[in-house]
Amino acid sequence: MKILQHLQKRPSLIVSSVIAILAILVSNKLGLNIDNLGQAWDNATILWAEMFPPDFSVVTERASWTQTECTWEADWACSAAIHGLSETIQIAFLATLFGMLLSLPLSMMAAHNLSPIWLSTITRNFLAGLRVLPSLVWALIFVIMFGPGPLAGVLAMTLYTVGYLGKLQYEALEGVSRHPLEAARAMGLPRWQIARYFALPEASNAILSQILFMFEYNIRHGSVIGLVGAGGIGWYLNNYLGIFSRYDRALALIIVIYVAVVIIDQISLSIRHRFMDSETHAPRARWREILPFFSTREVQK
Amino acid sequence: MMPETVLRIQGATIGFEKENPLLVDVDLELKPGEIIGVIGRSGIGKSTLLRTIAGLLPPLSGQLDAPAGIGEIGYIPQRLGLVNHKNVGYNVMMGALTRAPLWQTLFSLPGLELRQSARAAIEAVGLSDKVLDSISQLSGGQQQRVAIARSMVQKPTLLLADECLGELDSETAKEIIELIQKLAKEDNVAIIIVDHNPVRVATFCDRVLHVKGIHIEEVDV
Repeated sequence: MKILQHLQKRPSLIVSSVIAILAILVSNKLGLNIDNLGQAWDNATILWAEMFPPDFSVVTERASWTQTECTWEADWACSAAIHGLSETIQIAFLATLFGMLLSLPLSMMAAHNLSPIWLSTITRNFLAGLRVLPSLVWALIFVIMFGPGPLAGVLAMTLYTVGYLGKLQYEALEGVSRHPLEAARAMGLPRWQIARYFALPEASNAILSQILFMFEYNIRHGSVIGLVGAGGIGWYLNNYLGIFSRYDRALALIIVIYVAVVIIDQISLSIRHRFMDSETHAPRARWREILPFFSTREVQK
Repeated sequence: MMPETVLRIQGATIGFEKENPLLVDVDLELKPGEIIGVIGRSGIGKSTLLRTIAGLLPPLSGQLDAPAGIGEIGYIPQRLGLVNHKNVGYNVMMGALTRAPLWQTLFSLPGLELRQSARAAIEAVGLSDKVLDSISQLSGGQQQRVAIARSMVQKPTLLLADECLGELDSETAKEIIELIQKLAKEDNVAIIIVDHNPVRVATFCDRVLHVKGIHIEEVDV
């Protein structure tokens, strides 16, 4: 009885206990046990021994088996790491560009404050449909359709970008103050002009920020889709882990990907800070603010 | 030929729910060039009245005949409704969108006449040196002027201004009132202006309506 009284006073204890019991039951059902973990530890030790030290010749030596032709004279420029990484960045760039061009009109159609309810519902469902499959599955589908290579990667990531960016953008458009939109509506302007001239400029800083985030995200994901043959550095990683079984080179590629992602994260963050709204200041939406070296603000200083 | 009446409301009920209307038995007629002031305490339904006239909300019942053509109604909401991330020139040009041919609006290429009328309006409100300034860089009074300049370019037959004098100091408010009067007298625009200051409204409005409870009463100016 005392235990029951104690539990009644502390409902969080009941919730924690239920979650813990549930976790044990589910683990048991899935066949997870300590023996498996012990086996995994042994495998990890073998893998680590083969991976260490990383072989950075993947950055310096020319890879003769590149997926796309490499015409640079310098060996390092055609190495698995640099050629693969540059291919990943190119795939991400094209996918972000095409994704943005397609998602912008779709997001205007999906925003409740800019479109009639029937149109926004249809468009939202379409965008949700594109997000159902992750870019890896889209990549698999396009590799089957078009064969292995960057084309499958660009198409897969474009589709995913449209679905993901479209959602972020219609949410940004719906967050715009209703006052300018009402002023425009009272003027009798058609919906597309309200979206183009009133809503888009108000949301453009957020939209620019989202496009940069998406580019950064696509570079990270570009590494993954290569695993199924859709081009980029992931393809080289897959070969080192699979056919070649060169785990030391695979580790070197993983380190290269990590460093590249950290650098791109920092660049993207510092650019996004240039035009983010603060509580006291709403900077003008200017596309050239993306280019740090061409900003008029810098010239005026 | 100038229409005799710009706006006619007869026996209208205004609000969001039929069971709980904000205003009942609203009757109002407005002639070109006439300025009507609407006063009353906060939250009583003044802004909802304006939004209903602007066509943003339907009246719950009764008859409301307001101009229905593109660009015939100008609306300055309580927070002015400016595009904060754009500059003064852009915001004033927005008033010209209603008159611009389709190809100009498609490619964002306003014609010479529209650009000249925007420039003239910016000069009239005394913001010639601020054309390229972002809205967020302007003071409250300057922002009000931009909203008025936008309406000057739009040339509506009916202008609805919701608290556009706000908490301005008396000097700036006087300048804005002069601009409103100019719009009414020179361009024959009928104006309904909501304000919380009954003394100020009485100085420049032809008629003043007082919202009391759920009824509107005309008061002597």
